[in-house]
Amino acid sequence: MIEISNLTKHMGNNTIVSDFSFSAGQQECLGLFGQDHTAKTVLFDVIAGSTQPSSGHINIQGFDTQTHPLEARQLVGYQLSNDLGHPTMSVKAFLDFIAAIRGFRGTEKRDRLEQSIARLELFPVLDAPLDLLSIAWKRKVAIAQAILHGPALLLLDEPTEGLAQDQKHAFKALIQSLTQEMAVIIASRHCEELSELCTRALVIANGRLVADTPLPDLQRDSRHFQAVTLTAETPLDLLALAVLPGVAGIEEHRNAPGTVTVLAMPGHTIYPHINTLIASRRWKINSLNLEPGRLNDVVHHLTKEASH
Amino acid sequence: MRLLPIILRRQLTSYARSPSTYLNIAIFLILSVTLGLYVSPWREQNGSDLQVFFRFHPSLYLLLIPALTTQLWSDETNAGFFSLMKTLPITTLEWIVGKFLAAWLVASTALFLMFPLVIIANYLGNADNGVIASQFLASWLLAGSYLSAGCFICALVHHRTVIFVLTLGLLLTTSGLSYVLDSLEHQTPIWLIDSLASLSPTWRFSSIDDGKLTLRDILYFISMILAFLTATTVTLNYKHR
Repeated sequence: MIEISNLTKHMGNNTIVSDFSFSAGQQECLGLFGQDHTAKTVLFDVIAGSTQPSSGHINIQGFDTQTHPLEARQLVGYQLSNDLGHPTMSVKAFLDFIAAIRGFRGTEKRDRLEQSIARLELFPVLDAPLDLLSIAWKRKVAIAQAILHGPALLLLDEPTEGLAQDQKHAFKALIQSLTQEMAVIIASRHCEELSELCTRALVIANGRLVADTPLPDLQRDSRHFQAVTLTAETPLDLLALAVLPGVAGIEEHRNAPGTVTVLAMPGHTIYPHINTLIASRRWKINSLNLEPGRLNDVVHHLTKEASH
Repeated sequence: MRLLPIILRRQLTSYARSPSTYLNIAIFLILSVTLGLYVSPWREQNGSDLQVFFRFHPSLYLLLIPALTTQLWSDETNAGFFSLMKTLPITTLEWIVGKFLAAWLVASTALFLMFPLVIIANYLGNADNGVIASQFLASWLLAGSYLSAGCFICALVHHRTVIFVLTLGLLLTTSGLSYVLDSLEHQTPIWLIDSLASLSPTWRFSSIDDGKLTLRDILYFISMILAFLTATTVTLNYKHR
């Protein structure tokens, strides 16, 4: 599907991306994580063909982006992180223009437009000029233009920026349905949001690929994997918690008294033990959560490691 | 060149929707007619051609062309829109030629609106329509070469005001070239003046304007257009890297 080999990109004297290789297959959803936003955006720009790599190759369904730029671009849909804007062009006119450039005519063009407008529910803003839209709407229009031509590879750069919490659910459903049709790569600072969507995680630090693993593996690396957070009305007996088998440590929340996070040793499950303890001591518990692992921490940790 | 009509249509719509296009064309027409009528007495010069109107065009284009070119590239002032255009399956050449042709069509419309003058000239006296046609052609080619120079400047800088000032500056230099050459007449060797003079679009323009339509002059304008459009393409391609 897409194969990237030894990709390097210099900008001025800086090396933004160095010796980057990975490949992705159809119906895969990749999360591209990392603290450095520029590296992710530049990587996307190079894949989409808007900048040329300094060295290395990108192959999208057999088309090299350097030797067959137009064919490769036709296979890619790209939602840029830059704000889309135009003083007079309306959303409808803009999408129509993009569809025309993508080579659609007549009824096919109309069908494509309707499909992608319906998918992103753009009906309320169709006649509004691009400049007047809020950030969330602009994101939606940008995604609509990216999926218009049914690309084989969809690049989303910070797609959830500016979305309200309730819109994020709709967005997740959309990405899940898109993953059925195409390969999706999502770059984001908010890893946790994507943990349910992505199957694989790429972590980029200092321009290098420092991790390329299934997302659950990355979560397993977290200190908080299998950790339990509980809130109680009455003060808890922390010592009793600490001596439970498999407990690695206890973190008290400074700004929320009565809330503690119990960390598990790697390879141990502490949830059942804590449950038994609560039952035997008859603690009044308000909330009890099993954590899937904090991705942000892992990514931060990997980035720090890479810079040493 | 498959996508050229799409870019062309899009640019023409954007011109048609912007009030400043109409304003610019109106100012251009009013100035060229009033200057023609008041500065030089057209009706007293037997009026067989429209030279009095056309000879102001090189200077009037200094107003019209920068306005048209800044509008042409105003879409791309938005960073998001500009980077999006670079990811679309369209070649730089299609993009530039499409834009250029749209601007040239608008300039041609402005020129075409001078057509009533031809009818008046024919009505009032024995107009030499051959000469008039060559004057129209010369003015049209001049507009094209100025526009292509404007496109090149737009490829270099993105700021609207800077584009306007630079285009104006470049066009002033080319039209001012003849005055500089006049003052140099006695100091420098004649071959240098001649070769410099032949580079000036104003000089070429006035030679066609007089009714002497030569292939050489037409080729001069066409090669100017091609050269600047190529330069624009090369610059933008370089910037894409």
